[in-house]
Amino acid sequence: MSGTKPDILWAPHQVDRFVVCDSELSLYHVESTVNSELKAGSLRLSEDSAATLLSINSDTPYMKCVAWYLNYDPECLLAVGQANGRVVLTSLGQDHNSKFKDLIGKEFVPKHARQCNTLAWNPLDSNWLAAGLDKHRADFSVLIWDICSKYTPDIVPMEKVKLSAGETETTLLVTKPLYELGQNDACLSLCWLPRDQKLLLAGMHRNLAIFDLRNTSQKMFVNTKAVQGVTVDPYFHDRVASFYEGQVAIWDLRKFEKPVLTLTEQPKPLTKVAWCPTRTGLLATLTRDSNIIRLYDMQHTPTPIGDETEPTIIERSVQPCDNYIASFAWHPTSQNRMIVVTPNRTMSDFTVFERISLAWSPITSLMWACGRHLYECTEEENDNSLEKDIATKMRLRALSRYGLDTEQVWRNHILAGNEDPQLKSLWYTLHYILCIQYTEDMDQKSPGNKGSLVYAGIKSIVKSSLGMVESSRHNWSGLDKQSDTQNLNEERILALQLCGWIKKGTDVDVGPFLNSLVQEGEWERAAAVALFNLDIRRAIQILNEGASSEKGDLNLNVVAMALSGYTDEKNSLWREMCSTLRLQLNNPYLCVMFAFLTSETGSYDGVLYENKVAVRDRVAFACKFLSDTQLNRYIEKLTNEMKEAGNLEGILLTGLTKDGVDLMESYVDRTGDVQTASYCMLQGSPLDVLKDERVQYWIENYRNLLDAWRFWHKRAEFDIHRSKLDPSSKPLAQVFVSCNFCGKSISYSCSTVPHQGRGFSQYGVSGSPTKSKVTSCPGCRKPLPRCALCLINMGTPVSSCPGGTKSDEKVDLSKDKKLAQFNNWFTWCHNCRHGGHAGHMLSWFRDHAECPVSACTCKCMQLDTTGNLVPAEAVQP
Amino acid sequence: MFVARSIAADHKDLIHDVSFDFHGRRMATCSSDQSVKVWDKSESGDWHCTASWKTHSGSVWRVTWAHPEFGQVLASCSFDRTAAVWEEIVGESNDKLRGQSHWVKRTTLVDSRTSVTDVKFAPKHMGLMLATCSADGIVRIYEAPDVMNLSQWSLQHEISCKLSCSCISWNPSRKYAKAETLMTVTDPVHDIAFAPNLGRSFHILAIATKDVRIFTLKPVRKELTSSGGPTKFEIHIVAQFDNHNSQVWRVSWNITGTVLASSGDDGCVRLWKANYMDNWKCTGILKGNGSPVNGSSQQGNSNPSLGSNIPSLQNSLNGSSAGRYFFPPLDSPRAGSRWSSYAQLLPPPPPPLVEHSCDADTANLQYPHPRRRYLSRPLNPLPENEGV
Repeated sequence: MSGTKPDILWAPHQVDRFVVCDSELSLYHVESTVNSELKAGSLRLSEDSAATLLSINSDTPYMKCVAWYLNYDPECLLAVGQANGRVVLTSLGQDHNSKFKDLIGKEFVPKHARQCNTLAWNPLDSNWLAAGLDKHRADFSVLIWDICSKYTPDIVPMEKVKLSAGETETTLLVTKPLYELGQNDACLSLCWLPRDQKLLLAGMHRNLAIFDLRNTSQKMFVNTKAVQGVTVDPYFHDRVASFYEGQVAIWDLRKFEKPVLTLTEQPKPLTKVAWCPTRTGLLATLTRDSNIIRLYDMQHTPTPIGDETEPTIIERSVQPCDNYIASFAWHPTSQNRMIVVTPNRTMSDFTVFERISLAWSPITSLMWACGRHLYECTEEENDNSLEKDIATKMRLRALSRYGLDTEQVWRNHILAGNEDPQLKSLWYTLHYILCIQYTEDMDQKSPGNKGSLVYAGIKSIVKSSLGMVESSRHNWSGLDKQSDTQNLNEERILALQLCGWIKKGTDVDVGPFLNSLVQEGEWERAAAVALFNLDIRRAIQILNEGASSEKGDLNLNVVAMALSGYTDEKNSLWREMCSTLRLQLNNPYLCVMFAFLTSETGSYDGVLYENKVAVRDRVAFACKFLSDTQLNRYIEKLTNEMKEAGNLEGILLTGLTKDGVDLMESYVDRTGDVQTASYCMLQGSPLDVLKDERVQYWIENYRNLLDAWRFWHKRAEFDIHRSKLDPSSKPLAQVFVSCNFCGKSISYSCSTVPHQGRGFSQYGVSGSPTKSKVTSCPGCRKPLPRCALCLINMGTPVSSCPGGTKSDEKVDLSKDKKLAQFNNWFTWCHNCRHGGHAGHMLSWFRDHAECPVSACTCKCMQLDTTGNLVPAEAVQP
Repeated sequence: MFVARSIAADHKDLIHDVSFDFHGRRMATCSSDQSVKVWDKSESGDWHCTASWKTHSGSVWRVTWAHPEFGQVLASCSFDRTAAVWEEIVGESNDKLRGQSHWVKRTTLVDSRTSVTDVKFAPKHMGLMLATCSADGIVRIYEAPDVMNLSQWSLQHEISCKLSCSCISWNPSRKYAKAETLMTVTDPVHDIAFAPNLGRSFHILAIATKDVRIFTLKPVRKELTSSGGPTKFEIHIVAQFDNHNSQVWRVSWNITGTVLASSGDDGCVRLWKANYMDNWKCTGILKGNGSPVNGSSQQGNSNPSLGSNIPSLQNSLNGSSAGRYFFPPLDSPRAGSRWSSYAQLLPPPPPPLVEHSCDADTANLQYPHPRRRYLSRPLNPLPENEGV
């Protein structure tokens, strides 16, 4: 052990102690610092551990190697191999008055002095210590000492201890080894084989040898250069690693002729190789002048001889610190824990993590396996909704019946959590579309077929009216001023209706809209809309109202004041100040108000391209003020912008057309929100749009999501909703009940009854007025099979259901008349073909596993494992 | 954002894989102790082991669930060169009382001559199909023609890759019939995962190698390509993170393909998520033992013992900053590079698949511009001293 290269050793039993040895031995104690501050004088090892120096021992100069006594008692007994070949027992413990006191200071002296290279305690007989020495012509290089040799026969050790207490000097030197091996050879490394107490593996000069102490004249050996650092895998006692220069060789002692494996050669010579004591097949290696510990994860068990399987090895590296590493040591018990020491004696304690494998569950919890442990990680419930992933959002929205409010379509955005302005805009757009569509349908007399145009969005509406509108000057109310606005033709009115500015049927009056905005507290927006309708007084009034309201901002008064100072004078100070100061206003609507007032006639870019203003307001504004060509160009540009960005506000422009699908596609690409996409497209898109493969694909994916979440009821609702719009999506009947005798479907008679959907009639027999007939096949009049429980022919209604079916029944009864109560439905097991009334069967299997038919051992209900799953909607709030 | 808790796994050796069923109510784990365990989630959200049995005569690398449409079916693959298909059967009633279920082996797939490193069921719309890959680089696709008979599997395709395979991933899409693609990743790949497609117009692929990489594969619109022939893809790398400092072992997508979880040599699990600008960012870190990572900075090196000073590539990749970048030159082919692995994209119908394995001696592959379009023809290895 040269003074510059410290080595490090964990205590084999006291798991919180280790020794660093260079020119002296220093014993450290490791403490966790998780809950406490770093104590004075202790060294930080890692984020959560620190070491305190317990004692220093500098009694043994010229240390070459150190080995810790493996027995539990006495603690802190170390064997030190010295440069002159002597092996000294020394202690770092405070327990000097223990019965083993006399062991301390004992020296084992070889006949000829030369360097001691290695030491190894026998794991089975703890008193045996093997020492490997350099070559000497006339001497052996492997000496096995018995540290208690003085006392043999070892019958009354206690007495001996007392006796020897006085005559220390004589007991300290031992010169007679127990065994002497390897004459005229050098020993570089040693390890005992755990298979047998008397087997010793030694890395000799140019060969690896196994010495059997039962017969010292024989040895098994193999010629190799890889003789350094021999070490036995603690998990597979036949697997041994050794190294030479930069190469590690792995040996199987069962076929010792050649290494079973040589690991990738390192550019620099290796200094230490060690198997992890807490984990199978993990070998750590260290090279000179390196700050990396390379790990080889041998994932296969050593195979029996003759099997030529390719080894599976994963190479990893860890970098515990920035400095070069002098040495490392695996912790004897803590899993994968390791401590390293650098040449300047800084230490670092860390754990090598196993390869973590992980998987997401469909309900956003993450499971991972680290080593032998499993960890589940779930999203915290009370999370900020904005940070939630779309998967969680969609699940919560599905639970709140998002998209299913077809009466008040706009309410869907509230179901979605009322947090996303884009969704709000989308659902309002759809609301307006549906409203207009509805009224159009009501009065068919309206000229032209505007109905299809409504779905086509403002873009097509505006296009259809190209070159028909003239502008005229309109008076500002309450001001002596005139502005150019466009005469509103039918298309533009329709567009304004879609934007929500005006209502169907009313005049071009924005009053109701302003009132609703004011009610919602959107003062700035209301004021801006009023102003765009050339009603500056109303705008000022709204702002005043806003300022005086509870939630309102007092600054609105200031804005109102500024507004009232409006002057038409081109070069006035007001104009100049407003156009510069308006950019400092935070609210985009206040900003565009001044932009509008200070703009040159006919140029409204300040309003039109203010991205923070809602698209619907900008479009409505454009409809009011832009000429046809300008408007067209503007709408075109805006549409493309929206499509590019996948901004749902753009649905107002595109409508539910192919363009709309394009837009929705980029929205889905961006967010993954197929839920919104599916529901939006199911709000009355024309069939050809609905048949677009992308739309179909979204719907498919959304249904799949609902299935994965076990939201089967929600999925069913979705399917019903979908089939209203797209009758072709209705699934075909999957089950038919046919008569045993004639083979005809027993629903035959039911289908002749008007207003009976096929969907239900296949499963049950309706409570048709002629009760006598329903128990027989409508085709051949033969009786239907009997229920296995009540033994009455199927088709008769179930009188009562025993057990806890009351609640189910209530639900069933509360619904409108069904064709057949679910309890009356035919059910049967696909495996044993027994069956009966659904209600009876359900109550039977609530308490039983086997089929109700005697002698039938079929476990009907358990056959379908999915059937035992509860829909998640019922479980979750 | 996330809290972790530990579950007593009771495996006697390393757990190699965790897999959820379609509904997330059941879970399977496999381990070096040669066994597979099945876990069921109780109403209260706790996991109970309901089956544990020895499946193979070697480490079990991976386990995977079939869609519940095919019953309760598992597949496992192992170092013992086989893959096996398991089905749960309705056991004796006392089994049920003890909360145990019984699994029987339906088939053993013995075609591989080497360790079978991954097994995956195909998306359900393709029927009951199974793909395996093995250490000698052969991808095999099996099909059970009769879904009621799980003991009959016919080997449909055998695709030989030049390099050892470590993982496979089925593309979940049904939209694009054919795919043919190469990967330009030159380091060993440890895991690969297609994101659930969810109606996007492109596919997202995550790769675990020396770093986490996320690619998008955008099919070139039909109108632009000559009719017929396989769909071509534009391949972009959209994110690359080396925050794990060294090897990345696993990647997994959440159900919507919006959050990616990765695990790596730093012993941490990291979550990645794209913001609306398509910028991928780390949104969470947890240590492998479930403890939260200390320190305020989530992006920083969480584990000083494993720290390294490699600057993140993230900034140069995301956003508009252009500039070239470069995959580091590969080490000269190593003698013992048995553990190099190969990622293979599996197109639904595999016969026309064109192989472009990246040979180990490909000097360096260069991306002249991150956003440049890549058609799926082989990248020519550039001379070593060119560029960058």
